[in-house]
Amino acid sequence: MSMPDTSEEAVRARADLITACLLVALGVAVVYFSWTMDRLEVRRINPATIPGLVPLFLGIALTICGSLLVLRSWKLSAPGSGALLLQLLFSWTSLRVLVVLGLALVFTLGLMGRMPFWLAAGLFIFAFIVLFETVMADTPKPIVPALLWALGIAAVGGGGTYYVFERIFLVRLP
Amino acid sequence: MFDGLVLLGAGVAHFLTPGSLFNVVWATLLGLVIGILPGLTATMGVALLVTLTYKMQADQAILTLMCVYLGAIYGGSRTAILLNIPGTPANAAATLDGHPLALQGKAGLAMGLATTSSTLGTLVGIFFLAIIAPILSEAALKFGSYEFFWLALFGVVISGQMTGSDTPLKGYIAGILGLLVAMVGMETLHAHQRFTFGIPALGGGVDIIPAMVGAFGLAEILSSMKRTAVANIVPVNDRVVPTLREIFQYWKTIIRSGIIGTFVGIIPGVGEDVGSWSSYAAAKKASKHPEEFGKGSQEGLIAAETGDNAVVSAAMIPTLTLALPGSAAAAVLIAAMLIHGIRPGPMLMVENPIFLYQVVAMLLLATLANLIFGLSLTKVFIKVLSVPRERLMAVIYVLCVVGSFAITQRLFDVYVMLFFGIVGFLLREMKFPMAPLVLGIVLGDLLDLNLRRGLMLTNGDPTPFFTRPISAVICLIIVATILMSIPSVSKRVRPLFSRGRGTADAQG
Repeated sequence: MSMPDTSEEAVRARADLITACLLVALGVAVVYFSWTMDRLEVRRINPATIPGLVPLFLGIALTICGSLLVLRSWKLSAPGSGALLLQLLFSWTSLRVLVVLGLALVFTLGLMGRMPFWLAAGLFIFAFIVLFETVMADTPKPIVPALLWALGIAAVGGGGTYYVFERIFLVRLP
Repeated sequence: MFDGLVLLGAGVAHFLTPGSLFNVVWATLLGLVIGILPGLTATMGVALLVTLTYKMQADQAILTLMCVYLGAIYGGSRTAILLNIPGTPANAAATLDGHPLALQGKAGLAMGLATTSSTLGTLVGIFFLAIIAPILSEAALKFGSYEFFWLALFGVVISGQMTGSDTPLKGYIAGILGLLVAMVGMETLHAHQRFTFGIPALGGGVDIIPAMVGAFGLAEILSSMKRTAVANIVPVNDRVVPTLREIFQYWKTIIRSGIIGTFVGIIPGVGEDVGSWSSYAAAKKASKHPEEFGKGSQEGLIAAETGDNAVVSAAMIPTLTLALPGSAAAAVLIAAMLIHGIRPGPMLMVENPIFLYQVVAMLLLATLANLIFGLSLTKVFIKVLSVPRERLMAVIYVLCVVGSFAITQRLFDVYVMLFFGIVGFLLREMKFPMAPLVLGIVLGDLLDLNLRRGLMLTNGDPTPFFTRPISAVICLIIVATILMSIPSVSKRVRPLFSRGRGTADAQG
């Protein structure tokens, strides 16, 4: 078993192993769904042109490539890389990503369509800036200037997007 | 020959109107800003701008997108030089010598060299675009289903091979995933619904624009906001405009890098970053002072910037003639062309011959605008770098939502953007390249349709796929590419070639 050079590579090898297993599962699922896909016999189509033909090949290819990645990552995985991966998943960096994602999901799935677009966009921009300039920042900025900046950019960003797209370019917004 | 020159003249004249020039100015400036801001890529910029060009005339829309594309690829060199962070992935090689030059107090000169070499690189690419595209287009008219099937597969395989930084395997997997995404929805041969699982919205398949906005927009936002550290900007105190002597002493490097960039651009889906790195490596190998590379070599910076910009123009060759995108951004351009009623591919030169030369004219105008703005607005662009990403990324996400929604006005497309953003971020974190994924989505239908159409023509006999001359050649290249990505095979094959070369050298 060859050892990765750095802890970052070890973590990636472990993450690759997990991903590769998921890819193999996906490949097998694609093969199954392609095999059981309607062959359109009633329409007397040529068996070489069935809709499931290409997906079947792709499923097989994904299973093979995924398996090869499993082997490669297995060979590279170093002792302790699992713990390092867990450490990374529960790090400050991951939290920042999750907060961005959370805000994006609330805006896209929660606010949009329930209120005018400019207001939803403004609220999202405001919350994003305030959070990342204060709570989520390494060196937090003073709260009052952060709030004022966030308010200003939210008004310009939300209102500006609405005005440019809906009024000037006549694109309907959600 | 003269027909081409006349058409090129007509193409340039077509855009010499106040409206077109206005579009060139704002789109190039916007492209430069996108390139300068770390975390925003050329592909993301082009994908977001498609929405804004939706109501424009087709030629003006493509002109705008082309200016954004070229501007962003060039603009990224500023960030590479002043911050040591590539503005776009294409500028990663420029950091190696650009930033050390800036630290030596030559930031202005570095930016000037990057500007002029980018311009020259684009010009080399444009030259080959004007020459090769009509010839390739004519040749492509003889292609049948068999050849197009192999070409689509070639695009995905070669893109996977060349962009998989960790291992080609990851590139191949990204390509297969892209092809699988393209399988979702109604297939074109028998109008059968595949992998829709009873969800009506999936019947129309996955639209490329929301997928790209997610993979290059939301994924970029997540990557950018993940980082906490902010780099310091190097001050610019020296002159920006280089002398002719400073440029032309590297004429060999410029021509070599331009040709390498053009070659890389022609290969489907490989993109600017590979063009830049290949040119840099070749320049280092050929240089009289390879030891200076990585420590502030002007030659290294020129090679990197010439190479990536040559790719932009050359990427238009397969994009326009074969409908095979030469880069990820070119894939978005194909989608934009289709939205505007322009059908890239072998029939383009038959249906709309002037469009190819209009594209050449667009690239010329965009290059000229880049040169003028690049050399004159240095101080303004440095100010752009000081915009905090917290304030920028929030607005960019709103634009991602608008960009995904506006084209078909379905909330489903916004969900597609979200899905591809999250998956794209995770894949990117694990060093899976995005270009083969995108190429897979674009080429999936071409591959599927041509394989089954070819089999239908021969009543299920696959022989013509292997016996027709062009098909056989492309098939052999694909097989060789895949075999060479297997370490045990390449280890055995490489010495054979080096031994052969050694013998030839000895005989010579």
